[in-house]
Amino acid sequence: MQAKDKKIFIADDDADILQIIGMILKTQGYQVVTSTNAKDIFKYAAKDLPDIILLDIWMSGIDGRDICSQLKSQELTKNIPVLFISANSNIEEIAKTYKADGYIAKPFEMDHLLERINAFFSYRNFNTRQFNYIP
Amino acid sequence: MEKLIQIQLTNENNTYNDLSIQVEELTHQLNEANEIIEAIRKGEVDAIIVKNEEKHEVYTLQSADKAYRIFIEKMNEGALTLNKDGLIIYSNSSFANLVNMPLENVIGFNFINFIPDAYRNSVAELMETAWKKQESKGEIVFDGKIKMVPVLLSMNMLEIDGGIALSVIATDITLQKETQQHKKALEKKDEFISIASHELKTPVTSIKGYVQLLRYNFQQDGNTTAADLLTKVDVQINKLTNLIGDLLDVKKIENGQLQYHEEAFDFNILVNEVIEETERVLKKHPIVATLSESKTILGDRNKIGQVITNLLENASKYSEAGSVINVESSVKDNNRISLSVKDKGIGIPKNQLNKIFERFFRVSSEKENTYSGLGLGLYISAEIIKRHNGIIGVESEEGNGSTFYFELPVYNKQEKENASKG
Repeated sequence: MQAKDKKIFIADDDADILQIIGMILKTQGYQVVTSTNAKDIFKYAAKDLPDIILLDIWMSGIDGRDICSQLKSQELTKNIPVLFISANSNIEEIAKTYKADGYIAKPFEMDHLLERINAFFSYRNFNTRQFNYIP
Repeated sequence: MEKLIQIQLTNENNTYNDLSIQVEELTHQLNEANEIIEAIRKGEVDAIIVKNEEKHEVYTLQSADKAYRIFIEKMNEGALTLNKDGLIIYSNSSFANLVNMPLENVIGFNFINFIPDAYRNSVAELMETAWKKQESKGEIVFDGKIKMVPVLLSMNMLEIDGGIALSVIATDITLQKETQQHKKALEKKDEFISIASHELKTPVTSIKGYVQLLRYNFQQDGNTTAADLLTKVDVQINKLTNLIGDLLDVKKIENGQLQYHEEAFDFNILVNEVIEETERVLKKHPIVATLSESKTILGDRNKIGQVITNLLENASKYSEAGSVINVESSVKDNNRISLSVKDKGIGIPKNQLNKIFERFFRVSSEKENTYSGLGLGLYISAEIIKRHNGIIGVESEEGNGSTFYFELPVYNKQEKENASKG
């Protein structure tokens, strides 16, 4: 499957971050849907399931951790990989606690971000140090 | 006895019945007196209060359990005994000091008189509770000579010789209060560092993202000059990110919250990775590595890498551009591996060598301010190495460069498995 067939949903309350991640992913041809409101994911998922969801943890008035729990508890969305993306220094523990499939710590290297996203689509089974998704 | 005879003489017209009643009354008094003498002899009575119409006279007994009395007398807490009416029948000098009164103006007086007005109601309630429920506790503030003194009052009801009394211990809790306030201030500081670092990282993320996108676009267009300039911007952004990370690490080390993710990893592969990355970023110094055979280490790979990076960055920072940095490793007794980083830089004065791993410490010299840094890197490195049961050290001479080294235990899988089986 080509990158252009892959849809990535990103939720962050910082419009700059959305633009940056969106542009970075588009350099590889991914389809990107961004929102400053993480709750939009449920509307979006209902009509067009994304292949990966990137979620900020602290968004104005919305807790990314709750959104992750809801996604993981619903039949429709439970198998979509969720990656937390945050400047929180405890991001690794938070990702483990809320059963996210991985995390990206802010600030991030463009190359690392792409490596991680590409890796999701390249391997059926992998388990690296910072990326603990096992499909 | 004289008093008794006098009573009889002044009542010579009494009938036989009156006299009988009087004898009975006097016998009762005599028995009571005997009982008191017996109680005093056994050490059950500490003080006797004689009620007069004008005042109460209190007689304390010097002989009653001397060791116990000295102990109470010498303790820092104020110690009191109150009778049912709230009169102080015993006080040690600590309580007298607390209320700033001579002891003779304390004993025999009502306890409530010594309580600041604002607390009288609550202390009266405390006493009532203690009388009813055996004990009570509450905090009040005494207006001391120099400053306000927060005091914890602990009241206990005692049964003394068939009667009841209230013991009161007044503990100065100034230190506890200060410790509490200090702890709160520290928590506030930690919270501030967490929030500040998050808030600092957010714009840094945006700057870094845009810089990297711009660099990508320049690279695509073949404009290598612009791309290289943006790489330099990115290196500076990474320095800023590392400083924020150091502040957070110090906070976590202080609170014992620094997380370690243990894994078995190849030491030389890590060293080479870090050297490659450092050379790419620093560019100013050739790094010559002479590594011995590699060993497996059990520990946090990222954090050990952070230590090596820190030593290399320091070596570069404190030596002239172009000078060589030597990295060497060696294996001792097949169970320890050590790594040293040697520079030809400014060195460290002898009297400052033992402080080099302290938090916020920076070598002081004439050129001190020409070197950037918070003085956290070596402190964090030392903590990380200590947590891996390793040792870290330095050999240096002012003007003649420094050699920083650390040593870590080698991971022996067989040994570990045997140990866990045994």
